[in-house]
Amino acid sequence: MLNNAIRRHAPFCLSILAGIAIWEIAGRSASQAFMVPFSVTVKTLWQLVVSGEFIKQFIESARLFLTGFVLALAVGMPLGMLLARVRVVRVGVEPYLMILYATPLVALIPFILSMMGFGFAPKVLVVFLFAVFPVVYNTVEGARSIKPEMIEVARSFRSTEWALWRDVMVPYTLPYTMTGVRQSIGRALVGMIAAEFFLSSTGLGQLIMGASQNFDTAGVFASVLVIALIGVGLMRLGLAIEQHFARWRQ
Amino acid sequence: MSSTTIGTTSTEPATPATARKPSTFWPRFIVGAVILFFWEFVVRVLAPAYVAKPSTVLMAIPDVFADPAFQAATGNTLSAVAEGLAIALVAGTIIGLAMGRSPMAERGIRHYVNGFYAMPMIVVLPLFSLWFGYSSATRIATIIFAAIFSIIINVADGARSVPREYLEVARSFRANRLSVLIGIVLPSSMPYLLAGFRLAAGRALIGAVVAEFFLSIGGLGYYILYNSRSYKHAEAFVGVLLLAAFGVGFELLVFWATKRFMPWYRREDKAS
Repeated sequence: MLNNAIRRHAPFCLSILAGIAIWEIAGRSASQAFMVPFSVTVKTLWQLVVSGEFIKQFIESARLFLTGFVLALAVGMPLGMLLARVRVVRVGVEPYLMILYATPLVALIPFILSMMGFGFAPKVLVVFLFAVFPVVYNTVEGARSIKPEMIEVARSFRSTEWALWRDVMVPYTLPYTMTGVRQSIGRALVGMIAAEFFLSSTGLGQLIMGASQNFDTAGVFASVLVIALIGVGLMRLGLAIEQHFARWRQ
Repeated sequence: MSSTTIGTTSTEPATPATARKPSTFWPRFIVGAVILFFWEFVVRVLAPAYVAKPSTVLMAIPDVFADPAFQAATGNTLSAVAEGLAIALVAGTIIGLAMGRSPMAERGIRHYVNGFYAMPMIVVLPLFSLWFGYSSATRIATIIFAAIFSIIINVADGARSVPREYLEVARSFRANRLSVLIGIVLPSSMPYLLAGFRLAAGRALIGAVVAEFFLSIGGLGYYILYNSRSYKHAEAFVGVLLLAAFGVGFELLVFWATKRFMPWYRREDKAS
């Protein structure tokens, strides 16, 4: 049992250790202005945590992320299903959704900045815009996959619209919606950092910006490391959510 | 219809021969018209005059396209995206093939590839600008960083799922490793490569725009930033439209290429 666990995790640990070793050596042999060894990065990070600066900025960022993301879900899921239920509307809206999905929405940030200024609302809007389309797109895709017979059968049993939604629409589209949720989590994180970089500087984005403006390379490395770890954690979470609901599929 | 679609075709002819096939043109046209009208109306009533609305954007299009600064900016961004994508495609394919065919390489770098892929790419900008300066080199580096990991992940997936029989045949003809890789593994992971490229192209565009915002170097992203700062929203929005056209263009190109050259393959999103 224990042996098995070691065998399973050994490659992972080895590869991470090797990576850290390379980072440490590269950091020590390069100029401190360009590259900071792993040990210094961790020390800097620890100082940020102890001083309370990190926690404060993390909460600020989390508030932005969650507000935008929850709004995106609250709008995207019902909208997606509604679009899917009414066939004519779905056919009409699909190409525009596809266009919005393929457009680099970061390009809208300057407009949002000059119209809405530096408050909290414009930043939430950026996160929302980044996160909402994958949810809508995938929900519509899921509803498309419902076989017409299903709805016809429900109809011939005189199912009410409400029951049709509860028993057919929602359960069948949910796994697809969750694929959208996974994609949204990643995009919302990008939106959060973009908003914090290019609108008013707050949160983890400010941590990086501040450090880079002071030529504090160790600070930049420390905050990039943290955000990378958050990204990996969120991706894991997204995959877990998706897989949990994937049982319904087929 | 090819063999792979049997699963769906056997269940899907739910539309009997008598069912009418409603046209898709009119719903699309009407929704588009409603969106444009609504946008025009809301901006006219609620927003200040400088905010872009369909009529002013439409009027700005000829001037903007004739503007040499705009043409230069477009050329700048596009060539950077093309260059970055080309580098990411070549390097990503090589790394992906290595990862897919060699368990050692896979175990060694998988966590890094996934980790970098999950990282919001914007975060590396301050670091890259420290390393490469406030120059177009940083933009290229950002584009490569944005694009390469989705290519690696997809190519590795493709290389892993090469049918075993192909490899056995090659081995029984004593093909060497390199010709197996180029002659069998690469073509058979082509659909995955295209799927990865499709994602990579979108991310590369975002990377280019973000880098131009951050570094203030000439390009479409900077053109948008500059014009919207000086309250020329209609002009700036033409830039957004062009970016959208590129995004959609890449998407259609890959869709067409998959259909044309790999008709047996049904599109599905791998890592996205």
